[in-house]
Amino acid sequence: MIRDLKRVRNIGISAHIDSGKTTLTERILFYTARIHKINEVRGKDGVGATMDSMELERERGITIASAATYCEWDKHNINIIDTPGHVDFTVEVERSLRVLDGVILVLCSVSGVQSQSITVDQQMKRYQVPCIAFVNKCDRSGANPAKVCTQLRDKLGHNSVLMQLPIGLEDKHEGIIDLVSMKALYFEGDNGEKVLSKDIPAHMMDDARKAREEMIDAVSFFSESLTDAVLEEKEITTELIMEAVRIGTISRQMTPVFLGSAYKNKAVQPLLDAVVDYLPSPLDIENQAIDMNNNEEAVILESSFDKPTVALAFKLEDGQYGQLTYIRVYQGCINKGDTLINSRDGKKFKAGRLIRMHSNQMEDVEAVPAGHIGAMFGIDCASGDTFVSPQINYTLLAMHIMEPVISLSVVPKDNKAQINMSKALNRFTKEDPTFKTYVDHETGDTIIQGMGELHLEVYVERMKREYGAEVITGQPRVAYRETITQKALFNYTHKKQTGGAGQYGRVSGFLEPCDEDFLFVNKVTGGRIPTNYIPACEHGFKACMEKGPKLEFPVTGIKVTLEDGAYHAVDSSDMAFKAAARGGFLEAYAKAKPVIKEPIMKVVIETPNEFQGSCMGLINQRRGIIQGSQEEGVMSVVESQVPLSEMFGFSTILRSATQGKAQFTMEFSAYKQVPQSVAEEIVRKKLEEKSKK
Amino acid sequence: MLKKDLILKSPVSKTLGIENIQDGRFGAVISRAGVGKTSFLVQIAITQLLRNKKILHISLVEPIEKINLRYSDGYTNLIDSIGYVDPQKALRLWEDIYPNKVGISYNELTFDTEKIREYLKSFKKADLALPSIIVMDGLNFDKDVSAILEKLDHLSQEFSVFIWFSIRCHREEKLCADGFPIQLENYKTLFDKALFLNPVEDKIEAIILKDGARTDLKFKLDSSTMMISEEG
Repeated sequence: MIRDLKRVRNIGISAHIDSGKTTLTERILFYTARIHKINEVRGKDGVGATMDSMELERERGITIASAATYCEWDKHNINIIDTPGHVDFTVEVERSLRVLDGVILVLCSVSGVQSQSITVDQQMKRYQVPCIAFVNKCDRSGANPAKVCTQLRDKLGHNSVLMQLPIGLEDKHEGIIDLVSMKALYFEGDNGEKVLSKDIPAHMMDDARKAREEMIDAVSFFSESLTDAVLEEKEITTELIMEAVRIGTISRQMTPVFLGSAYKNKAVQPLLDAVVDYLPSPLDIENQAIDMNNNEEAVILESSFDKPTVALAFKLEDGQYGQLTYIRVYQGCINKGDTLINSRDGKKFKAGRLIRMHSNQMEDVEAVPAGHIGAMFGIDCASGDTFVSPQINYTLLAMHIMEPVISLSVVPKDNKAQINMSKALNRFTKEDPTFKTYVDHETGDTIIQGMGELHLEVYVERMKREYGAEVITGQPRVAYRETITQKALFNYTHKKQTGGAGQYGRVSGFLEPCDEDFLFVNKVTGGRIPTNYIPACEHGFKACMEKGPKLEFPVTGIKVTLEDGAYHAVDSSDMAFKAAARGGFLEAYAKAKPVIKEPIMKVVIETPNEFQGSCMGLINQRRGIIQGSQEEGVMSVVESQVPLSEMFGFSTILRSATQGKAQFTMEFSAYKQVPQSVAEEIVRKKLEEKSKK
Repeated sequence: MLKKDLILKSPVSKTLGIENIQDGRFGAVISRAGVGKTSFLVQIAITQLLRNKKILHISLVEPIEKINLRYSDGYTNLIDSIGYVDPQKALRLWEDIYPNKVGISYNELTFDTEKIREYLKSFKKADLALPSIIVMDGLNFDKDVSAILEKLDHLSQEFSVFIWFSIRCHREEKLCADGFPIQLENYKTLFDKALFLNPVEDKIEAIILKDGARTDLKFKLDSSTMMISEEG
């Protein structure tokens, strides 16, 4: 691994589903000589793209798990993570962005900025990741890169600047004009590997000059020397422009936009140049950790190899050699045999086999230095753990993980499947923090929870393929929540005298709605409840949140204020106050007008114009709220908010309503109160279920 | 309470009358470019939203983001016109009524009333309340729109929905003998209501051209907010 960090790039490739991320990655690997043959996503050769190493990924033509690889370009070491586009696997994007220094945001030149591009953009903002944009598919009918550049401004608020002009579009797309060097670039050879630099065609010269002027005008904000050169009408060198673009990009004040067609092998090499020229090296990015030994103060990490090691485990995978832990080293260096500490539980371990990944293949390395991404075997840890040298106790900020919104019961077909299923679930829950599982004590069923139908479908399929665990799945269920809508008082005394030591505790206060999941405020004064019993009270209230008294759904959004109470010198105990808290909670909850909340999804349908009305109709029939619809060329986009419970089987319905020509994306938006009529139906079903048990 | 106050303060209450908004089939807001046709139509729509009714806003000229922006600006102007309102309260009310608005942006060249029919039919199918009015913004009345108007007329009758149009006239064109702009002259029998917006100094004069017996009534509007001008 290169130790000169100026020549290291850790980048991700993110975009809306089907924008061509994996296709682009395949070209990058080919041009950087990491692979010697280009395979297509869902390829006719039956091989599938290199980065889609999972059998299921190759069959479905989608990326499910993010895959890491590396390559070299212009003496730079580029670590790449290819991420899934489908929102159900968004945690993969989330954790990749947590450890990356820069991103290539891929956009389709026909569809432009789509719903998932917006989600990825929000994730990039969360982790302050700089990006360059690549407007792909310029060979497609209806391609309009200038429109996409404008959409980047209007829809995402990027200061997008075109760095290239296309030479021809759609089936006439031949190459690009580089506005920095003012050269026309063509890509020849069987796989576009020969880059020919020629003079700009005469008929495009005026457009190119104008576009270059606009580009220089936009980037001159980031460099005084460039501004001076413009004002003093001096020669504007390539270096001056590149320096300004680099400053603007790294500071996230501008997004340079590049064009091409990965599938047609056009303009991928200039994009690689841009990665090297404009995206940050680990030295350009400031990373922070929290010093647990020093009042959780923020410390800036230095990408120096001599400093104590700080690394983040961002992804786990179970392979044939045991658990594989992907790590990003932020400071110091992990050498084989080094002693490290997992700062979450303080456990010491020795770094064993270290590797760097290339899709599903591995290459052994002796060390993973700061600024690099690697993987290690044989470590028992969780996703998001921080590994540090023994002399320090730092923690890196964890990733943003969403709560699952959909669940499914799974019943193994036979005894063998039972054992394999538990093995599989154990592994999947470790790998994916948005995939959860538990046993419903009342029915004895195993319940799996995830981010969407596809998410769960993929795991059920993987259980079968990778573990031979055949399961029967139940109907998908929505993760409802309960909450209260008004303030209510409680004053509850728990008193029991059944021989021996009694139980006594009184709690008094009120419940009220709040935005947090759970808040506990202690306002007891004068020792009415001794301080040592307060945690028991809090614990008692919190325990009630797990299963709501109304319909046994988890309760959220409650603030408990404990104002008063009483104790008994002999009969009071932690247990008595826990019971009192439970009694108090139940007493107030019933008076606080409890309601059921359901997950509402943001659903975006892209459909040919002629089916727009029908698609809007489908949303209407599902208690959906249409937020708007826009015709864009031959396609229309319908944006809406729809309850998840109404979306089961929607893909089949949409297909039949639009002759299979429309597609949709769905992602969690918010929890909202269910209408009264629906709430009644949920109550009825719940009671029915109970009576069956 | 806030709803009632806002409805009372709406420029639509004063100029057209609340109950009157959807009485008939077609209505038109006419003016030269840039005077405020769309802003006034948005005020009509917001008034309906405040009455817990659904509305459908169709634009043939503006993207959906612009339409949405017009609604939030229109609501802010209306809120500001009644003095101090608790911002949380105002926001909650907006969140409450806003989902009843659906905005659709169509390409003028490919616009087809059949798409709206499909959509409206789905309301009936799902047994939902239909939109009370459709705002049709950007239809070019300089061209022959008789075929589209005929279809929309059918639509209006089939779904009992009132359609409000914006009609752009031109500075250099003279008004017809009865005071109607030339764009409306050929179709005036179809329209039950017509309101003309005329810029006068720094105000806008709203003139009722047609509304049953109420004709030639004049109101002064603030040119930046479209609210009834205090001085008027």
